[in-house]
Amino acid sequence: MSKAAKNKAGKLLALLLTGTCLLAALPAREALAGEKEEGTVVLRVCNWEEYIDLGDWDEEETIDLPSGDIIGENPIVEDFEDWYEETYGKKVRVEYSTFGTNEDLYNMLTLGDVYDLVCPSEYMFMKLMAEDKLVPLSPDFFDASDPNNYYINGVSPYIRSVFDSKEIGGEPWSAYAAGYMWGITGIVYNPDVVSREDASSWAVLNDPRYARQVTIKDNVRDTYFAAVGALKHDLLTDPEFLADPDYSLRLEEEMNDVSPETIQAVQDYLQSVRDNAYSFETDSGKADMITGKVVANYQWSGDAVYTLDQADEDDYTLCFAVPEESTNIYFDGWVMLRAGLEGDPERQHAAEAFINFMSRPDSVIRNMYYIGYTSVISGGDDPRIFEYADWCYGAEEDEEDTTDYPLGYFFSGDNEDEDYVITAPADQLDRQLFSQYPDEAAIRRSSIMVFFDAEANDAINRMWINVRCFNLRQIPVPAWIAAVLVVLALAWLWISHRRRMPRTS
Amino acid sequence: MKTLRFSRKDLGIPYILFLIIFVVLPLLVLFYYAFTNGQGQPTLSNLTGFFTDPNTLGTLCYSFAIAFVTTCVCLLLAYPTAYVLAQSELKEKSVLVMLFVMPMWINFSLRITALKEILTLIEGNLAMHPFLNAVVGMTYDFLPFMILPIYTTLSRLDRSLIEAAQDLGAGDFAAFWHITLPLSVPGIVSGVSMVFLPAMTNYVVLDMLYNSTYIMGSLIGSYFASYNWHGGSMIALILLAIICVFTLLTRGMEEEDAQAVGGALL
Repeated sequence: MSKAAKNKAGKLLALLLTGTCLLAALPAREALAGEKEEGTVVLRVCNWEEYIDLGDWDEEETIDLPSGDIIGENPIVEDFEDWYEETYGKKVRVEYSTFGTNEDLYNMLTLGDVYDLVCPSEYMFMKLMAEDKLVPLSPDFFDASDPNNYYINGVSPYIRSVFDSKEIGGEPWSAYAAGYMWGITGIVYNPDVVSREDASSWAVLNDPRYARQVTIKDNVRDTYFAAVGALKHDLLTDPEFLADPDYSLRLEEEMNDVSPETIQAVQDYLQSVRDNAYSFETDSGKADMITGKVVANYQWSGDAVYTLDQADEDDYTLCFAVPEESTNIYFDGWVMLRAGLEGDPERQHAAEAFINFMSRPDSVIRNMYYIGYTSVISGGDDPRIFEYADWCYGAEEDEEDTTDYPLGYFFSGDNEDEDYVITAPADQLDRQLFSQYPDEAAIRRSSIMVFFDAEANDAINRMWINVRCFNLRQIPVPAWIAAVLVVLALAWLWISHRRRMPRTS
Repeated sequence: MKTLRFSRKDLGIPYILFLIIFVVLPLLVLFYYAFTNGQGQPTLSNLTGFFTDPNTLGTLCYSFAIAFVTTCVCLLLAYPTAYVLAQSELKEKSVLVMLFVMPMWINFSLRITALKEILTLIEGNLAMHPFLNAVVGMTYDFLPFMILPIYTTLSRLDRSLIEAAQDLGAGDFAAFWHITLPLSVPGIVSGVSMVFLPAMTNYVVLDMLYNSTYIMGSLIGSYFASYNWHGGSMIALILLAIICVFTLLTRGMEEEDAQAVGGALL
């Protein structure tokens, strides 16, 4: 063998080796995902991080409801796979992955990640609906006579009316989306320092009395909503406005106001909030609230329940308030993606069955217990979800200071319904019960945040960057002089260094 | 019997493939996005937009300021430390060096979380001193990267040069100023470049220590979060360009210094 030939053989081998390594690493996913392995349906689900029961509970964690015990032994996704095979005689394998924010999910989808079933918030599934990326739920999914259709048989009448009435492009949400969890935004506060009245207004975020002791959410939509609420305080609490027959509609319009003047006003407002707040945060606010670093914290209701629970364990009392102006109500919902299903009826069936299994009352309770958020499912004829709410927050027999907390609006559609009243310790009006299931008055002044068109979206993102960036005009003159001096000094050092260098010739 | 031989060139193939897939291709994508708009048409508006917006320029200044102060503090702390380490007569010097490197073995976010608590104890309310927090956090994080290169250069330094200087009548300070310091410039330069550049972009430290002002890293992140990949790519490219210029400048200095060392020895 000549040297050249040997070289060639070596080169080939090297290429082959690297090639195999790369091949083995890269497309393994594509080879497996979405393919049917001998009759197994593969379902690719993408959900929020830490948004589902992973099982493995201790014996003591058993939830003993009057209608039976509930405990999570296995991850709920595995339970679904078993249930599907038992019920429909077909194997299904769930590839479960997670995302961190709605925007991340959207970017992942744009970059070509393929999923069959995802669970974004309402504005994001509205955006996906508008972009025609979703597959409508099948008529079978809404067939209430099928006992395995847990979603349609169990969804709260209140949630159902929202999903039926909110529309985009002439089609209701419910045609494409099935709810999963929902909640509102509000203020977690330390009642020793902040009064209930103060915490009941968005203005608390900009209150100089609590300077550097308040945290706000680190995202443009949540802060925009709070700023609009604070800026329009007078209008939003005006009795005439509140009595308007079209109150809900007008409220939604006001809270989704993206006129240039409003955006400018919000920017000015948020700039002062920035200088008054402790931090913009996504996750750390919970811990800072519990350790007492801050006294008020803009929070989502599900995380508020968690914060209050954690504080209780340390014998430290925190409360939750919903601002009087308006609160942002949000819904996370399951939607099926066109790019994932590719018209495959078997996979669509599995996806819809997955939604139904997540809506089965015992799954609902396991998920709620595990993640702390509130499910859209009220249980229909199944009493267990109301029993669970009572199990969590109902007063003990011997408790004296109690209050009746009606939840009929959520469980039966009629808030006067006496079957759905929880007798709770009186302080629960400001605490976990109120965060997990807000009362009807809070729901009345809630508004969704729609998704904005490209132009408004750009303007708002621009505004947000302006709030967060250090503006050149903020630099004081002495700082400019200092900077120039530093640059000159460095240049002089460099030049003198070069001059001093002895040269080898 | 046939033997398979790899020439040196062939052994480079895996790395070249790696380079193409993970460095060159992403860079091309970055270039594509940086010089196109939302409709995919070529444009320079992202570039001009960066240099006409007081916010992005302000962010650049702010990042520079943080990185500059951090680098100075690191240098002031690291040089004496490295000098003492290199001078010490201890047999187990490597143990000492390890002590300085050890913090790096602990997870980064854990260290910053601990620092947060310590700073809260000292300052009371962290949110009052955002700039200071950022500098302390970065210094804490990057100090070993400054100590190590300086220590390495100093410990390789030929002691006879200093002795020669002293024989010729130089005092301790003069010997340090004219011999040790100039000869340790390569270490300082590589230390500075290992601290300055990461300090301009490491926004996690700022996030965790509650500095709510964007620096370059978080600015790029915010562009991508709001689907503006074009603007985000352009800022990433500009940052890359700054790093390139910086590296070229410092490399020029290092080469000269290598010559200088050679010259001094002749």
